[in-house]
Amino acid sequence: MADPNKPRGAFAPWDRRELPGAFDVAESAKRVGHYKWIEMRLFEVLGGWVATVPELDVKLRLGTHCYHHAWHAELWHKRLPELREMNPDRLTVPPNEELVAFVAKLSEPEAPGLTIEKLVGAYRVLLPHLISAYTYHRNNTSTITDAPTIRALGFALQDDLDDWRDGEMLIQSLLEDADEVRRAANWQAELETLLVAAGGIAGPGTLGHPGARTADGELHPSWASDARSEEVKP
Amino acid sequence: MKRIFPADELARDERFVRANLMDRLNDPRSLDQSGGADAEAKGSPGKKSGGRRPMTLDRPDAPDAARGLMHGIFMGEVQALEGAGRTCFDFDTGTGRDEAPFELKLDMARQCWDEARHCEISVKLSEWMGTEPGEFSESTFLYEAACNPDPVLRLTGVNRALEGLAIDVFHTMREFGRLAGDPVLEFCEDWMLADEVTHVKMGSDWLRKITADDPERQKNALEFQRVVDKLFSLGGTRGESDDSPIKLARRFRELAGFTDDEIDEIAGLSEESRAEFRLAQDRARQSADATV
Repeated sequence: MADPNKPRGAFAPWDRRELPGAFDVAESAKRVGHYKWIEMRLFEVLGGWVATVPELDVKLRLGTHCYHHAWHAELWHKRLPELREMNPDRLTVPPNEELVAFVAKLSEPEAPGLTIEKLVGAYRVLLPHLISAYTYHRNNTSTITDAPTIRALGFALQDDLDDWRDGEMLIQSLLEDADEVRRAANWQAELETLLVAAGGIAGPGTLGHPGARTADGELHPSWASDARSEEVKP
Repeated sequence: MKRIFPADELARDERFVRANLMDRLNDPRSLDQSGGADAEAKGSPGKKSGGRRPMTLDRPDAPDAARGLMHGIFMGEVQALEGAGRTCFDFDTGTGRDEAPFELKLDMARQCWDEARHCEISVKLSEWMGTEPGEFSESTFLYEAACNPDPVLRLTGVNRALEGLAIDVFHTMREFGRLAGDPVLEFCEDWMLADEVTHVKMGSDWLRKITADDPERQKNALEFQRVVDKLFSLGGTRGESDDSPIKLARRFRELAGFTDDEIDEIAGLSEESRAEFRLAQDRARQSADATV
C-alpha cells in the first residue's frame, strides 16, 4: 500500500510540461481576439451559404460545420476575460485590413453553380490556415500558464481537422474535369494571395515567421520566442 | 453574397419541385381518400373533413399520407436549416434594432447543426417509410418567415410559430409510430421532438430578452407570430379536436416556454382557421353545384 506520508513532486515523472512560453498574457489575448473574429466570420458565411448550395450533402455539412465554428468563437469569447480583457469586443477585431479584404473575397460566391469556389475558400484556404495558427499557438505557448487556451485550441483543432477532411472530400467529389480543377486552383491562389498579404489569420507573425514585424515595425514577439523562453526559465 | 436571400432562389437539385402551399396540401396522395368517419358525406371521399383526418390505422391510405407528411417534415427541416443559417449571416452582431446579439447568432448556429441532423434523420426515415427526396412537392412558407428583416420577428415567426407547429407534428407522428408498432418512426420523432422544444424555447427566451424594454417591438413580434400561427393552422389541420390530423401538443409547448394563455390562443386560432376553411369549402361546393 502507498505510504500517505511519502512526499511526491507536483509533477509526475512523465509530466514534462514547462513554464516558458512564447506569449505573454497580452499577446495571447490579442491572438485569441483575432481567432474569435475569424471564427465568427467563418460561421456566418458557412451559415449564409447553406441556402445557396443545391448539393444536399454539402448543404448539411455546411450547417454542421457552421456550429463548430460558432462554438469555437464562443470558446474564445469566454477566454478573453480570463486573459484580462474584460470587454471582449475590444479585441474581437481582425489583425489588419488585408484580412478583412480576404474575408470579403471569401464570402463573394453566391450562385448555385459556385459550390466549388465556396468549398475551396473554406476548406483549402481558410481552414488550413486556421489549423496552422492554432497548432503554432498550442505548440509555443506555456503548457502550464496558458493551459486553458491550449485546451480550447485542442477542441477547436479536433473539429477543424475533421471538418477539413470532410470539406476536402466534398471538393474532390465535385471536381470532375480539368476545367473544374483549374477553377478550384485559380480561386485558391487568389484567396491564398490575399491571406498571405494579411500575414495569416492573426496577422504578421501568425506562425512566427522569421523576421516578422508588428504593425509598428517592431520584431514580432512570437519571433523572439526562444530568447523570451530563456528569460522566463526558472 | 447578399444579405436577405429570397425564397425563390433557394438552391435545390433537379429532384425537387416547388409548389404553392394549397397545391401541396391538396396533393391527392396526402388527402384522406377513405371517407372513413365522413362516409356519410356522399360524393368525394373525405369531403366533410376537407380530405384531412387524423392518421389512424383504419385509414387504408395512411401509409401514403404518412409518407407525404414525412416529406413535408424533411423539406421543413431543410428550410429551417437554411433560415437559421441566414440569420447567422444576414445581421451585423450587436444589440441594435437591425442587429443580432452574438449569443443569438450562436443559438442560430446551434440550430443549424440540429436542423442538419434532422435532415439526416428525415432522409433515413423517409427511406424506411418508402419515399425519397423529391417525391412530393415543396412549398417555401417556412423559409419565407425566416426572411423577415427584424431578427425578433424571425424568432417569433420561425422558432415560436413554425417550430411550435413542428412540436405538434412530431408529437403526432411519434404517436402514429407508437400505434403502428413502428419503433423506428417513434424513436426518430422522439429525438427530433426534444430538439424542437429547445428551438422553440430559444425563440421564447430571446423574444422576452430582446423586447424587454421595447413593448411596441414585442407587440409587433407577437402579432407576426399570430399571423403565422393562424396561417399554419392549415385550415384547422392542427388543433385540439379529436378529428384534427395534427394535435396541439400542450405539454411540450409548456416546456418550450409557452404560457397557458398563449396555448389557448393558438387553439382558438386553429378553430377559427378550421371554420374559415369549412366555409370556403362549402362555398366552393355550392358554386360547383350551381355550375352543374
